[in-house]
Amino acid sequence: MAVLEKDSMLSLADYAVSSALQKGASEVEAYLYEGHSTNVGIERGQVTKSNKILDQGLGIRVIVGKAIGFAYTNAIENKNTINDAIASALNAAKASKPDKNWSGFPEKSLYGLVEKTYDQKIIKLHSKDLVSLAYEMLDAAITAEKNVLPIEGGVSTAFFLNGIANSNGVRAFDKGTYIECSLAAAVKKKNTITPVCFEFNAERTYNINPKWVGKEAARLALSALNTKRIETRTTNLILTQFALQSLLSNTLINSVKADNVQRKQSPFRDKIGEQIGSDLLTIQDDGLLAGGLGTAPFDGEGVPQQKTNIIKKGVLKNFLYDNYTAKKEGKESTGNASRAGYLSTPNIGTTNFRVIPGNLTSEQLIEEVDDGLLIYYLQGAHSSNPVSGDFSVVATPAWKIKNGEITHSTRGIMLSGNIFEVLKNVSLIANNERKLGSIISPWILVKNVRIIGK
Amino acid sequence: MKDILTKINRLAVDNFSAEYSEVRAQKLKKTLLTLKEGRVEAAKQGIESGVALRVLVNGAWGFSSVGSFNLQILKTAVSDACSMAKALSKRMKNPIKLADTKVINDKISVDPKKNPATITMEEKIKTSLAINQSSLSYDKRIKSCTIDYLDLFGTNHYSTSEGTFIEQDKLYIWSRITSSAFSNGAFTFSREEIGSTAGYEIFDKQPPDVIGEQVAKRAVTQLDAKPVKGGKSPVVLGPNVVGVFVHEAFGHLAEADLALSGGVLSNRIGKRIGSNLVTLYDDGTVKDAFGSFKYDDEGVPSQKTLLVKDGLVNGLMHNRETAQKFNMSPTGNSRGESFRVEPIIRMRNTYMAPKDQSFDELLEDVTSGYYMKSFRGGQANLDGTFQVGVQEAYEIVDGEIGSPVRNVSISGNTLETLLKIDAVGKDFELWPGRCGKGQTAFVCDGGPHIRIKEVIVGGSA
Repeated sequence: MAVLEKDSMLSLADYAVSSALQKGASEVEAYLYEGHSTNVGIERGQVTKSNKILDQGLGIRVIVGKAIGFAYTNAIENKNTINDAIASALNAAKASKPDKNWSGFPEKSLYGLVEKTYDQKIIKLHSKDLVSLAYEMLDAAITAEKNVLPIEGGVSTAFFLNGIANSNGVRAFDKGTYIECSLAAAVKKKNTITPVCFEFNAERTYNINPKWVGKEAARLALSALNTKRIETRTTNLILTQFALQSLLSNTLINSVKADNVQRKQSPFRDKIGEQIGSDLLTIQDDGLLAGGLGTAPFDGEGVPQQKTNIIKKGVLKNFLYDNYTAKKEGKESTGNASRAGYLSTPNIGTTNFRVIPGNLTSEQLIEEVDDGLLIYYLQGAHSSNPVSGDFSVVATPAWKIKNGEITHSTRGIMLSGNIFEVLKNVSLIANNERKLGSIISPWILVKNVRIIGK
Repeated sequence: MKDILTKINRLAVDNFSAEYSEVRAQKLKKTLLTLKEGRVEAAKQGIESGVALRVLVNGAWGFSSVGSFNLQILKTAVSDACSMAKALSKRMKNPIKLADTKVINDKISVDPKKNPATITMEEKIKTSLAINQSSLSYDKRIKSCTIDYLDLFGTNHYSTSEGTFIEQDKLYIWSRITSSAFSNGAFTFSREEIGSTAGYEIFDKQPPDVIGEQVAKRAVTQLDAKPVKGGKSPVVLGPNVVGVFVHEAFGHLAEADLALSGGVLSNRIGKRIGSNLVTLYDDGTVKDAFGSFKYDDEGVPSQKTLLVKDGLVNGLMHNRETAQKFNMSPTGNSRGESFRVEPIIRMRNTYMAPKDQSFDELLEDVTSGYYMKSFRGGQANLDGTFQVGVQEAYEIVDGEIGSPVRNVSISGNTLETLLKIDAVGKDFELWPGRCGKGQTAFVCDGGPHIRIKEVIVGGSA
């Protein structure tokens, strides 16, 4: 299928907008997406599979008398299927109920420049190049530890383009690239198998380090081989980026979405300006961060992305808004409407949710801990209470820290608590910032968390 | 359709030296609704049509997905898939082979009493509004209610270079209802899902007002729930929690791809892993169940697979690739979420078989423990560590159900925990759900009430 470049994509969007207006919509928004991805997959120590996926489509949102309808189609080769999608969206709107709070699609605005989100070198990579990168990663893992089982992983690249136009004059186009390598490994000795340890490296430009990923996955798995049980008690935790990502995305992030706040599903309602966490804690959502995985000039509604302070020195500053929730409060959107390609209407989401780093190195952070645990992977964070922030999860593996040194690994430790208490108990923040999906953070030290051991 | 698919398979084998080729063409229609507090946030309709091509060349897989049925585009896609597979086959030490399966020519139609294709959008919105209304009006402490509704129907065409051709209708109806309640500084959250491969008549069996109230009632009850101390404890699990426990703690380990990757079941076929009360199935043949289908995405007939019999491991869930490695037969567990992804080993309807005890008999020997009634989520690790988060739980005191408790989960090691099951009930329920393994699969999990002598209960008090 031919690649839709800027002009062809925007002219399709224009066609959809004008055609839907003619057919009776009072407002229209057309979103076009095209993604090309190539992936080579590792299974049990060898690259066994490869895939190439081309996904393109149109998502169209129409308003008929304040009622909203949406339709999508992945067949955009001819005008017939686009006309069908328009008709479906109009039917959906007519069947729906008017929303008295609807106050229009966003207006036209100027977009900032984004850096390091597109790299020709990624597009030019061939599947055999990806195979080489995958074996670089595998070889590094096996060299680091001969008993390692490289269970699964792979190398992927993606090139995506999107265009949006609405009846208020928004007309925007962007393209980006992505490359990722990942490896899940365990170590098996006699009848013992370690928990799966996972590492990865994802970037927007051709700047990944597969050797490091392989070596680090093997190192983590090996260090999890000999375990000792741990007593139940209240202790200190170093939360690494993996742990923070799974906890924050299932708790805190829900609480700062304006939609949840307005719907009384967030404990942060009426708390703007209040101290809600340790004064060491500053969190921003930065949609323009150079090379960020969530970086783009505009969001899923064509609103400019921006940097938004969420928590500053422990004080709650702002929520994440899309156009609808912002207008409801007479505010401007923070550019946080995110979309799952052309398949869905926009929802409030983070761009690059960034915990601002402190001054200590990771080694210095460990040295500060007399007694505690280093937490990497959490099981069951998605079973947290998304409203109250309560969590009850399992850390497998985790590493015991005694007098500033890592002593041994442990598994099956349960951590129970509440994210808002955790935020208050942050006592130190390291400087080892790292991108993990849409969350960017360093390691943090948290006091007084209840753990249940043997 | 058949002609094009046959042509593509022939091209792969004759021109690009594939030893095996398959094409899965999909034409589906989707309706989605999201309602929040009686407001229709979006009424959505979509078309999902495209083709998945998979080839085996010199023992390596190549896969390509395109959203088009155009012959020229498909020819390019199959050429891409073959050349990618060839590129990686050069370094493969253990080439992939496939277990044999019968050549099938079949057409599977669905005939629902109430076909979602003929039900208007207005009617679907009305049903969701009714659920929303019954939840919100249950109690003034209910602050929010979100309804997600999905229906998906259409036809899959599947063709292989071995001569199989299957035309199979698909039909899914799913809805998720969540409510939150707030009172005196306490926030609670409650969720329920319904799902079926029968038609819209699911809403006759599970009427909107009943399910809406059920979700709201849990959120309100949980307002008074107390945190627990946590630690080792006996527990009684309800069918809903048993289902997710069986699925997470055991099911994933019994997926042959994970077993091959060093999972704890790899060398335990025929060995004891549970008490003799434990019999587990993964069954793709339960009528109307969310995880049922006639043929999987490798053209293998779905079946009732016995995984554990009286505590002994009986078998694993296979696709054609793992079946060949284990010298077993494929079990019909190979599923791809859509034409955009490759098929992988997935569960269907996974459950524990009932035995003979009543709920009261399970409770009566517990002097101090917990009754876990409904789950919120669960996750397992290859080493056998599992976690199941619970949204509705109660204390058990002297054999009686006591006060509600909140923020609890259970954890342990599968191999130790299945041995500690000391009583299994005579009731049985199957619950629909969605399982994530890189892609989403519609499944059911279930079983009777059971008692476990001891697990770790996570608590924060």
